[in-house]
Amino acid sequence: MLTRGTLIYIGQRLLLIAFTVLAVSFAVFAALHSLPGNPFVNEKLHGAELAAQMHLYGLDLPIPIQYWNWLKGAIHGDFGVSLAILNEPISPIVFREFSVSLMLGGAALLITLGLGTVLGVIAAARQNTWVDYTLTTFAVIGYSVPSFVLASVFILVFGVWLFNVTHGAFYYPLNWTGTYGTIEELSIPAIALGLYTSGQVTRITRAAMLDVIQQDYIRTARAKGLRQRIVILRHAFRNALIPVVSIAGPLIITIIVGSVVIENLFGIPGLGKEFVESILRHDYNIAIAVFTLYAALIGVANLLVDIAYAAIDPRIRY
Amino acid sequence: MPDITKPILEVKNLRTSFFTDDGEVKAVRDVSFDLYEGETLGIVGESGCGKSVTVMSILGLVQRLGKITGGQVLFRGKDLTKIPADELRHVRGRDIAMIFQDPLSSLNPVLSVGYQIDEAMYAHDVIKHDDIRARGVDLLEEVRVPDASRRIKDYPHQFSGGMRQRAMIAMGLSNKPKVLIADEPTTALDVTVQAQILELLRDLNQNTGTSIILITHNLGVVAGLCQRVIVMYAGEIVEEGTAEQIFENPQHPYTWSLLRSMPRVDTSRRERLKSIEGLPPDLIAPPPGCKFNPRCPFRIEQCFSDDPTLETVGDDDRHIAKCWVRMKRAYAEMGAATLTDTRPGAASGVRPPKTLVEKLEDSREIEPDTEAVGDLRGS
Repeated sequence: MLTRGTLIYIGQRLLLIAFTVLAVSFAVFAALHSLPGNPFVNEKLHGAELAAQMHLYGLDLPIPIQYWNWLKGAIHGDFGVSLAILNEPISPIVFREFSVSLMLGGAALLITLGLGTVLGVIAAARQNTWVDYTLTTFAVIGYSVPSFVLASVFILVFGVWLFNVTHGAFYYPLNWTGTYGTIEELSIPAIALGLYTSGQVTRITRAAMLDVIQQDYIRTARAKGLRQRIVILRHAFRNALIPVVSIAGPLIITIIVGSVVIENLFGIPGLGKEFVESILRHDYNIAIAVFTLYAALIGVANLLVDIAYAAIDPRIRY
Repeated sequence: MPDITKPILEVKNLRTSFFTDDGEVKAVRDVSFDLYEGETLGIVGESGCGKSVTVMSILGLVQRLGKITGGQVLFRGKDLTKIPADELRHVRGRDIAMIFQDPLSSLNPVLSVGYQIDEAMYAHDVIKHDDIRARGVDLLEEVRVPDASRRIKDYPHQFSGGMRQRAMIAMGLSNKPKVLIADEPTTALDVTVQAQILELLRDLNQNTGTSIILITHNLGVVAGLCQRVIVMYAGEIVEEGTAEQIFENPQHPYTWSLLRSMPRVDTSRRERLKSIEGLPPDLIAPPPGCKFNPRCPFRIEQCFSDDPTLETVGDDDRHIAKCWVRMKRAYAEMGAATLTDTRPGAASGVRPPKTLVEKLEDSREIEPDTEAVGDLRGS
């Protein structure tokens, strides 16, 4: 599958992603530095002291020069120091938060695709029965309720009511204890994040399956005497996956956007939470690092989707 | 040598309907025929006359709204319409294989050709599993796919139309079936490729003794390949006989019209193609009497009231036709030999009974206005 052409294509895409990330980082850098206020606004610094502090961190220089200085470090993985927690290097913080978010987002994506495709296939296989109607209804509810609403309900149900009902024996602990979180700690937020998108996947998988099982090649598969299970999973499902993969890019973006809200609601120390807090604190360097990572993440995710696309459909070659 | 007097497959009074919102579409109406060992049987008729549905019903492949509502399909003493799904699954592809009209859409686009051929063998225990891979290549070579060992790894979109149909045939033959059903196998292919595929089928029939049911609307294909022919119209068999009987001595006006509508190399260039007036009837509410009466030039009064049955023609009981008039009488009494006007009732001068015309007009199926038709033809 990995032909020379494919490798060249991947190389080109990576180059394109690099340019996009660069452009995003500059735009965000310029925008954030143009906001009124500064990182030291709470520190009762005035006049010459403030000017000296600004000068120390190079914040008095023209924006293009500041950007150039930032970029020189960023290329080496050094995103500078935090301006809120003074002199704390950002890179370790941001990469740690990034891995937390990746776990959360990965779990949500797994729920989205796993649950979504399984339910979609079942609904299609049982078309127009109560099973289908139940699953379709859940799918509609799923993608009608935004993840932040679902998250709030989950906090209430699993964090508060369950605690009260079981007298603290079994509930979802709302306070994230460690830095990385356990599977239990990840579970509820990941479900809150993934259920919304899994509703969309269910709907698309069901429609694709219903379309595919009417195709001539399914008739051929049946005429060959294959088991029904094999006809559905090997012949129908692989073809039905093509439209699912084609919306996977937008789904991943939805999950990333959703994670910002979910992390803040559940108090998860991830990129999404940092994203909001750093902006509020005027912690330019962290905000820019987070933005840049998001841009890179979305670019790479879309590339992976396109590679998956070619892996599933042999007619697509780059 | 195959015994061509012993039926291998017997279809008895088969009925298949599609239950749509508009009503029950009786697509196959009481169809009976035998397929003998080692023979090639042609089923011909216009689009929508129930050819495909008949053979799909044999293997229980009618989907969705379709349902077999009666009759039997006897294969090796078992009724395929009654046996459990898992038993029927083992008849499909192992004993009775099927190839379809459009070889592109009939192959799965995301699986390699070789995979799809091998899979047919893994599904049954006819071929030893160790031999399957090698047999896949052998089969492709057998159906004359060049460079088979390399091409077997290709995907369907990398194959040409003719090659795809060859691959389909290879797949069909993989388990050495007793019967091969070919549903319009050459319709989507160009003429030279058609000839190659047909030759392949003929060789297969002669070399392995596989019985073939060949569905087509191309009478030329039937003439070159089939020993016996069944003519279907509106879900029914209207005539059946040996290829010679059907081509030399057609007795049903529909068969006669089909043969007449075939373009021939030896006719004048200026001559118009002779088509059959009108369209096949609505299978939800077909006309009373003979279903061909709205289009038949030789119809008589009886055709509007009574539905004829299949009866032997002459003294050979292999030749049967479902007609009150028969071409023998049409030639003798209605001048069929020199007939140029083939509009409904043109040769016999019989118009539908008044009560029927009113009913037809109510149900929007209006008898064609003779003058208007004349205008159209003159232009």
